[in-house]
Amino acid sequence: MTMPQSGAAAGALGPLARDLAAASLAMARRFSAGATMWCCSPTWPHHARHVAVEFVHPVIVGKRALPALMVAGPDVVESLRVSVRPGDIVLAVAGAEDPSVAEAMRRAHAWGVETIWIGVGPRPGAGVAHHVLWLPESEALAPYDGRFILLYHLLWELTHVCFEHPGLLKVDDPVCEGEVCITCSDEGRVGEVIAVRDDGDALVRTSDGRETVDTTLVGPVGRNDLVLIHAGSAISRLAPEVSQAVGP
Amino acid sequence: MSSADFLYPMIEGDETDAASLLADLERSADAKATTSAALTAATLDQVDRQLEEVAAEMARRFAAGGRLFTCGNGGSATDAAGVAALFTYPPHGDPLPARSLVSDESILTALSNDIGFEVVFSRQLIAHARAGDMVMGFSTSGNSPNVIKAFEEAARREVLTIGLAGYEGGAMAACDALVHCIVVRSDSVHRIQEAQSATAYRLWERVQSRLPAEVMA
Repeated sequence: MTMPQSGAAAGALGPLARDLAAASLAMARRFSAGATMWCCSPTWPHHARHVAVEFVHPVIVGKRALPALMVAGPDVVESLRVSVRPGDIVLAVAGAEDPSVAEAMRRAHAWGVETIWIGVGPRPGAGVAHHVLWLPESEALAPYDGRFILLYHLLWELTHVCFEHPGLLKVDDPVCEGEVCITCSDEGRVGEVIAVRDDGDALVRTSDGRETVDTTLVGPVGRNDLVLIHAGSAISRLAPEVSQAVGP
Repeated sequence: MSSADFLYPMIEGDETDAASLLADLERSADAKATTSAALTAATLDQVDRQLEEVAAEMARRFAAGGRLFTCGNGGSATDAAGVAALFTYPPHGDPLPARSLVSDESILTALSNDIGFEVVFSRQLIAHARAGDMVMGFSTSGNSPNVIKAFEEAARREVLTIGLAGYEGGAMAACDALVHCIVVRSDSVHRIQEAQSATAYRLWERVQSRLPAEVMA
């Protein structure tokens, strides 16, 4: 019988407590700036639904209703692509091997969304999501034994604690100064191709909105390709990667 | 304080506050997780014999061709869906026929619109349930009228009734139609749901372990 062992029973969430705290503050900041949270769980859709109902219809009377939705349908990436706006939150409950969730996370920078990935077993690679909330591998049956539910209950509870600190919810936007802007001209930004013009320029989507970029350096691109943009040009392609889970 | 701090007093202040908030959140998360694990352990201990009895009856019914229907509202609806998925698509062991009565929006809205929300589960049982089947209802308060109504309908059809409730059991504890009322004794909806999920998981494990003997009997 494999039931919760005293590791969890001792309340020692360990590093997970810190991850939950950081994710909750980030979520509260996004929500207070107008975010919608998109929840997906291709393998365990009931978890995505539970997260959504938790935020929309709080169990504690008087807590504000927050916009959260379950992403249904046969293709999570397509649904998210058409739905999310810069500043939104994408929350997934899925194993690290889930290809559609990994693909959605890969596009998060181009979409301008904050990502939270809840799972169990082998962890996704470093930096795959902004917040990785992971249960240890030895608890591989967690999707059904209540601890996933605990994780997103805690996210909800802590997010509402953050709302009691309005001064900490404001995040200053980086100031853009056009041609000499450090943000825009010194770093590559990720864009997702929306359409390709006959002259080779491409209309791309980035966290800042839509823009037209020169694709001479990278050659022909197609719709939905991810490219790295620097000073008005696509300078490299982000090749499709096979999601690789790493050990705990 | 560094020499430039007087220029940006708010930044320094905000950073300190965020750090202290984050530390509070961490402690809070750990404390709630501890409470959750303790409640789960206490519940599994309290309902141990009850789960043995329920698992034995469920294994007998599954072996004889019985099917499980699950129901609940809100978060409990998603937990009901999770339990149906656990029986049908188990991580190991034998898949067993289980279905959530909350999974079809056309049926839920048709019944709600034409009759009322109280009958959304019971009317589905009228259509589907046969003697030998089982219904498992989730309600943290124990009071959900549509779940109680489902138990009443099930009892009329020789369908085994299993309820998972919180608090002191609410209306479920007083429901004559409910054969097995499994109570998580807490007044926190969140902690109740976490312990209920663990309880349902333990029940599934026991059904699985009893099944081979029942199938061969």
